[in-house]
Order: sequence, then structure tokens, then C-alpha cells
Amino acid sequence: MSTTKLHTAATRGVSIRATRPLLGWRTVDLLTVAFLGAAFGIAYWGWGIAYEAPAKALGLAFPPLQGITAAPWLIAGVVGGLVIRRPGAALLCEVIAALVSMLPGTQWGATVLVSGILQGLGAEIAFAILGYGAFGLAAAMLAGALSAPLEAVYEWFVYWTDWGMGYKVAYLAILTAAGAVIAGGGGWLLTRSLARAGALNALPPGQEVREQHRV
Amino acid sequence: MSGAAVAVPSMATGATGAVEVSGLTWRPFGRREPIFTGLDLALPSGQRVLLVGPSGSGKSTLLRALAGVLQVADSGDLSGSVTIDGQAPHARAGLVGLVLQEPGSGVVSATIGRDVAFGLENTGVPRDQMPPRVAAALQAVGLTMPEDTPTHALSGGEQQRLALAGALALEPRLLLLDEPTAMLDPGNAAAVRAVVGEVVAGRHLTTVVVEHRLGPWVDFADRLLVLDRDGSLVADGVPEAVLAEQGATLAEQGIWVPGVPAPEPAALGSALFGPGRLGANEVAVDAADVTVRRSVRTISGATQTTVAVAGQWLQARAGQSLALVGPSGSGKSTLMLALAGLMPVDEGVVRVHPTLAAHGSRHPADWDTVDLARTVAWVPQWSSSTIVAGTVLDEVMTTARACGLVESEAQARAVALLDLLGLGHLLQADPRHLSGGEQRRLAMASAVVHQPALLLADEATVGQDRLTWAAVMGIVEGLRDAGSAVLLTTHDDAVVARCDRTLTLERPAQPAPVVAPRRPLVARCGPLSLLAASTLAIPAGVVSPHWTVTLVVLAVQAALAAVALLAPGEGPRPQGRLRRVLVRFLPGVVGGLSVAWSTWLLGGRDLELTAGAGLRVLVIVLPSAVLIPFIDADALGDHLAQRLGLPPRPVVASAAALQRVHTFGDIWSEIARARRVRGIGASRRSPRAVLDEIGALTVGMLIRSLQAAATLAVAMDARGFSTAYRRTWWAAAPWRGADSALMAASLLPLAVAALGHAAAG
Repeated sequence: MSTTKLHTAATRGVSIRATRPLLGWRTVDLLTVAFLGAAFGIAYWGWGIAYEAPAKALGLAFPPLQGITAAPWLIAGVVGGLVIRRPGAALLCEVIAALVSMLPGTQWGATVLVSGILQGLGAEIAFAILGYGAFGLAAAMLAGALSAPLEAVYEWFVYWTDWGMGYKVAYLAILTAAGAVIAGGGGWLLTRSLARAGALNALPPGQEVREQHRV
Repeated sequence: MSGAAVAVPSMATGATGAVEVSGLTWRPFGRREPIFTGLDLALPSGQRVLLVGPSGSGKSTLLRALAGVLQVADSGDLSGSVTIDGQAPHARAGLVGLVLQEPGSGVVSATIGRDVAFGLENTGVPRDQMPPRVAAALQAVGLTMPEDTPTHALSGGEQQRLALAGALALEPRLLLLDEPTAMLDPGNAAAVRAVVGEVVAGRHLTTVVVEHRLGPWVDFADRLLVLDRDGSLVADGVPEAVLAEQGATLAEQGIWVPGVPAPEPAALGSALFGPGRLGANEVAVDAADVTVRRSVRTISGATQTTVAVAGQWLQARAGQSLALVGPSGSGKSTLMLALAGLMPVDEGVVRVHPTLAAHGSRHPADWDTVDLARTVAWVPQWSSSTIVAGTVLDEVMTTARACGLVESEAQARAVALLDLLGLGHLLQADPRHLSGGEQRRLAMASAVVHQPALLLADEATVGQDRLTWAAVMGIVEGLRDAGSAVLLTTHDDAVVARCDRTLTLERPAQPAPVVAPRRPLVARCGPLSLLAASTLAIPAGVVSPHWTVTLVVLAVQAALAAVALLAPGEGPRPQGRLRRVLVRFLPGVVGGLSVAWSTWLLGGRDLELTAGAGLRVLVIVLPSAVLIPFIDADALGDHLAQRLGLPPRPVVASAAALQRVHTFGDIWSEIARARRVRGIGASRRSPRAVLDEIGALTVGMLIRSLQAAATLAVAMDARGFSTAYRRTWWAAAPWRGADSALMAASLLPLAVAALGHAAAG
């Protein structure tokens, strides 16, 4: 493998792909996605406690605006995909996060597991559309956006049963936009700072950063 | 050359374990220069090699290359070859056994028996053949406790022996030990060395030990290899001969050569620090009869209280250094945290000198983050988690800036300290890219730039070579001589010898372990039925048509929960069952109220709609609050893979992560402590700082957990996990009567809801 090629690829802003074969998950890929998911799960649980007040405030203004406070829960799938860059990473990361956030007890019980699957599937579809070859800001925002629709429709039936169709569609649109910005943009920033912190050295984002800042 | 090249093939494997390294070159991405260039090395069968070198010479890297796991947790350009008896290291899982430096970093499972069996599972050994091999491996390393002993209950030395047992179960030909005793107290270290000696002699293993301090290993080894700072071999031969010929040169390079006395601490210019705040020998901090307890909830639901520090008295005086020694588990680190006001004390009192009081309080625990930083500095054992800045210079200036010191003066001192510590050329480097030893030295510099009146340093000299040791001790003594009180926990005799006073702690007497209480009925269920039953609550909640029906459904659930939590049989009554359910149910109640409130406002203030919406949330959440706590991570993995046929490697990796979730809280509090004592913690004076704090802690927790994942990946791959596509399992995944009963029971509320729905429709 040629480093000069890697180096120029990284400096040109082209994403480094995961090693071939794409489905050949290494141990460090599996453990990274599992630990990331677990850490996000704890953070999700914390957000579940902190979110009530801002969500209620937005809900009073215009109920579908609660899509904004729901968007942080889409971030694990985006980051899982951006970090590992293999098929299934986004889904696995979001599902583990959902499972872990369920363990200490939340206001949603086992529904978060279903949500985790639907959100992770959405992010996974985005990375698949891009052929697991693009992991820049735009790709991240697409993944954040696509994490939303399945989840929004599921919530229509579980949480927002009393809403009319207008509210439901507005909620879907707002969750999608907020997913692109908060989970997509935020996930991209977080991945970059993790890579810069040296926490992703064995993974493509870490290689991109390190080849740009040699010591 | 070697004195012990008598090749006796191992009886167990019929193989020899001869190692051949040729032309090994390795450049990790992000470094301009390779760590090794064209390294050649041959180890005959059964040789015992001691590999030493100064800090940063690539010793651990070479071990990982020998184990064939170099690219598991790192990426870069690798060329050349490593073979064991002509095969690649990963040709057979477990061909090379690897024990890592940090105790517990390679633990995969919740119990010791299962942890040892991990490699056997990966190599597809049938389940009925596992118990004798696990028992033999545990016996070989002298772990005599029951196989279901929790891994987290082991001491550091026992965890290292467990790691050794995990490697031995796979019958390796080459055994690699990466500073196996660096983090252990002398007693535990000696026990680990003794076990290694026995095991290696009994099995005729080729062995490579990396150590900083070669003294205790010289008798064990029959060959000494020395790497210099550029990763080149500079000495190679029988240890006694190498040391006789080159001992003085090696000591000059920083290697701890046995028999050479510890170096003199570096001399700091007397102008570096200003006058201290206290007069000589005044008591800077005083702990009176301090007791600190810790409570851990066991998986069975009982609360086990341990005593970390019992009735301890201590005085640290200005201008004096005090060494805090004692075996691991004697509470040195906890006592230090209590002195710094970073850990609440259960009994007794911690007081500083009246001159050091902040806002009239002599108790550091009451102080604001900046007041604490001004007076107290703490260097934690894990310095990587305290890094808060993007460059070495900003890192070292953090506390000085938080305390509002004059920038130019503080910076001059910071640069002088970094120069002394050999970090002067790295001012603009990212501190997170430094080696572990460099990060520890940076933490020391960062702790003293603002000249705190009290310095608390936890194992500050671990992993330092002679040169950097002299620099660290020079700073400690310079600060002391400027009038600060210095307290050092240490296992290092050379540090103890330099200290003015020594305080030895004993392991406190522990309350009797609680007897396992009776288990509730629900504890007999497996993870799949628990998850499925929790999930069945969703349709039950969704189809409940009217608040009256929903209330009936909830009542049925509550009755079933009461039955599930019954604990018939002999033994003590389990405590706190109801309380635990209520704690987990509380978010559900809050959520229900919040949904009800929204419905009230939006749904035309219709009381029936409101009650229906709120109760529906409770129906969805209650079963989870009761059932989820009984899911065990290992069992979940067993069932997902064996019963649902999910791919084994992702399942095992996820179970290993779940196993570690409980450590995330500790990581969180450790980073919070480090930020608080450095003057940048959450402050009552600034709510914005609280938000910054939460962000920084979340990212810090992510970074630490990813580092743990990378280390665990190395340990797991060394035990054959990378090729474990057809795995066997230590434990079966039975579907029991209790599981069927739970499924039937959880269909009951759903049936009630569906009937109500049909009646209403």
C-alpha cells in the first residue's frame, strides 16, 4: 500500500475507505463500534433526562418542533458509519446505543430498541447509497437526514397518535432537517475531534488526520 | 550469545517456538521516521529474553510485532517478516500468548472461568472439553478461587495471572509479557514473576519480557536485548555479561541497571519558584480519623460495602515530602483524593492550614474549582484523561491561566519545566499524541507551574527511565524546597528513599461479605424472553383504546410484576426489589405526566384523552423497569448467537462492551475530578461552564472508551478472535420453562388491551 497515495488522498479531501474487503470486519472495528455505541447509550440516557424541559418548551410553541430535541438521538448511527466505514456499522452502533440507554430505565421502555433499529437503518441506507466511499460533511448530513423518516413514521403510530396529518408531516420534515444539522453536522465534528485526539488511530478517520499532521 | 540454547521440544505441542524476525520495518501513520528499520532477530526455542530500552524506544511495539497484532490497534507501513517455527504468528490462534501492561485491560468476560475459556471458544474447542483445560490453566497460574468469581473482584496481580492463564489455555509456543508487573505493588509483582518462572520452566516456552526495571528479571532471563531511542539493537547477550561490559553506558542512557544507585534528582534553579505561602514545617493539610466507604451493588441485588480508608490520620507539612506506601487496596489513592477534596469522606475531617483557607472554609471539598486549583495540585495515575488542551504549551498553562497568573512569568516557568522534562521541543505538539511516559511528565509540569501549596502525585514515576525519573523527582523536590507540602503514593523504593517521611497504609479490615440472597422468580428467565416480554408492552400500550382499559392493563402488569419479583426458597430476603423498580420506573412516570400535560393543552383539555395518553406511557414502560435489570451481558451474547443465530463476532464484541459499561461512570468522575482540581471544572459562578463541562466530559468518556476498545482488540486478537467465525460457547443458551411462562404472562396484558380494542371498535 502506498502512503503517498494515502497522503494525497487525505489532503485532497477525499475520504479514505475502510480496508478491503468492506465486509471483512476487523476486531478493532467491532470493538470500536460496540464501545462507541455503549458510550452513546449512556449519553442518550442522560439526554433523556435533560431533554424534557426544552422539548416541552418547543412543543408549546409548535408541537412538531419537538423534532429538534429528538435529533440528538440520531447521532450514534452517523458517527458509527463515519468512523468504521463498513456496511452495518451505522446500524450496529445505533442499536447498541439504544440497548444501553434502555438498561438504566427511561421514559420509553423497550420502544427505544425499535427506534434504534429504524434510525440506524436510515443512516445505513445513506452510507450504502454513497457506496461506502464518501464520508465528508455532506455524507454525514445525508446520513443524519435519512436517520429521521423511518423513525418519524414509527413515532406517528406510537407517540403522536392524536396528531393530524399536517402535524405529522411537519414533524417528519423538522426531524429530517434537524437530523441533518445536529446528528449529521454534529456527528461529523465529533468524529473529527475524536480522530484528532488520537482515539481512532487504527481507523480511516484517524489515518486521515495523522497523515496531515505528521510529527 | 545465549547460554540456554538446549532445544527440548515441548511435550504438549511437539513444537519448539523458534522465532525469526527479518527486515522488520514499521512506520505508523503520522510519524515521519519509522520505529524500526530493517530489524533482524532470531530467538532459539525455549530462550528467555529480557527486552529493555529507554522510554519511547519501541519495546512494546516490537512485542506486538512478534504477536502479529501490530496493525490491530494502529495503522501504518509494515514490511519484513516475523515467523514462529516458520509460520506467521497468526497461523494458529494462540500460537503466541500476550500479556499486556495494564491489569484488566484484556478482560473479556464477567467471570474468571469464562474469561480463560475465551481463546478455546474462538478456536472451536467443543464445550465438554473446555472445563479441564480451563481448570488446568487456572491452576498453573495459582488462581484457586471458584471459576464463577467475578473478574472485577480480582486484584491487579490476580488479573495479570488471569491474563496469563488465558494465554496458556491455548498452548502457546511463544509467550510475550509487556511490563507485566509495572503497575503492581511489590508483593503482587513477586507473585506474578514466580508464576511466570514456573510456567515457562514447566512448558519450555520461548519468552520475551519487556521491563523498565530489569533487576528482578535478570535471574529469569538468559538473554538481554537492549534497544536504543532509535529502535536499534545496541546490546545483545547473556545478561550478566552485557551488564558487566556495558552497565555504565546503559545506565547513562536511562536504563535501570541493577546495582547502579538511583540518579540524583535534577537541580532546579532556585529562582524557578517564588516563596511559599506557609512557613517551613507548618501543617498544610491534616486528615483526622478519616474513613471512606464505597458501595457496590452486586448482580444479585445485594449491596456490598467496602472500606477504602479506615480511621486514617495524616499530616502533610510545608517544605516536606511524604511517601504514602502500602499494598494495592490499602487506600492510598482514595486517601489522596479525600485530601484534595475530590472524594467525600464518611467519617473524620480533612482541613487545610488557616492561611490556605478559601472564603473562610478550610475544607477543600467546599471550594470552587479555581480556589481549589490555586492551592492543591493532583497528578492522577492515568494522566491521559486529564489532557484538556490542543498543544503541550496550552496544556501546561491551563491552571496558571485559570488562576489568573501573569502570563509571561508563568510561561517562562512552564517552558523551563518542560525543558527539564525533555518535552521542550514539543511545545506546539498535540499532547494526546505523546507516549504514556511523556504524558505523565506533562501532567507533572502542568500541576506545578502555579506553585500550589500542596502537591498530591499518584505513582508519578511509573514508566520513567533514569533520566526522566531524575527530572520528575527534581521538580518534586524543587517545589518542596520552595515551601510546598508534597505527598507521593509510590511502590518505588528509590522515591521512598528521597522522601522526608514515610507513611505505610495497611489494607483496612472489610465487613463480612453479604450472603447471596434468594433470587426472584424473574431471575430464572433468559435474556431473550426478558427482551421480548419488554417489547410486547409496546403493542399493549398502543392498542389500549380508552383510559379505563389502559388502567386495567396497567393493573394486570403490576400484578404480574409482583409475582415475578417474589423470591421463594431458603436464604436471606433480597433487599430493595421494589425500590429498584421504582427508580427505573420514575423516568416513565415523568414521561407519562409530560405526555399527559401536552395532551391536556393540545387536546382541548379533555380529561379522558389526557388520562389515556399518560397511562399508555406507563403501560409501555413498566415491564421494562421490572425485567431489563435481569439481563446479563454474557448471557445475552450466548443467546443472541446460539439461539437467534446472529453472527458470533459482533455479538461477542457487543457483550464485551456491555460488560464495561459500568466503568464509564468511573471514567466520567475521574475526568470531572481532574478538571475541577485544574481550575476549569464546573463552577457555581458560571452556568455556561456547566455546559462546557458536560461536553468535555462526554468527549473525554468517548476517547477513553475508544482507547480501551483498541487495547481490548489487541488482547482479543492475541487469543484468536480475528478468525473466530465458527465459535463454540462456554455456556449453553437454554430456553427454560421460566422463559415460556414469562412469554405467556406478558401476552396477558396484550390480550386485555386487544379485547378492549375489539370491544371499543
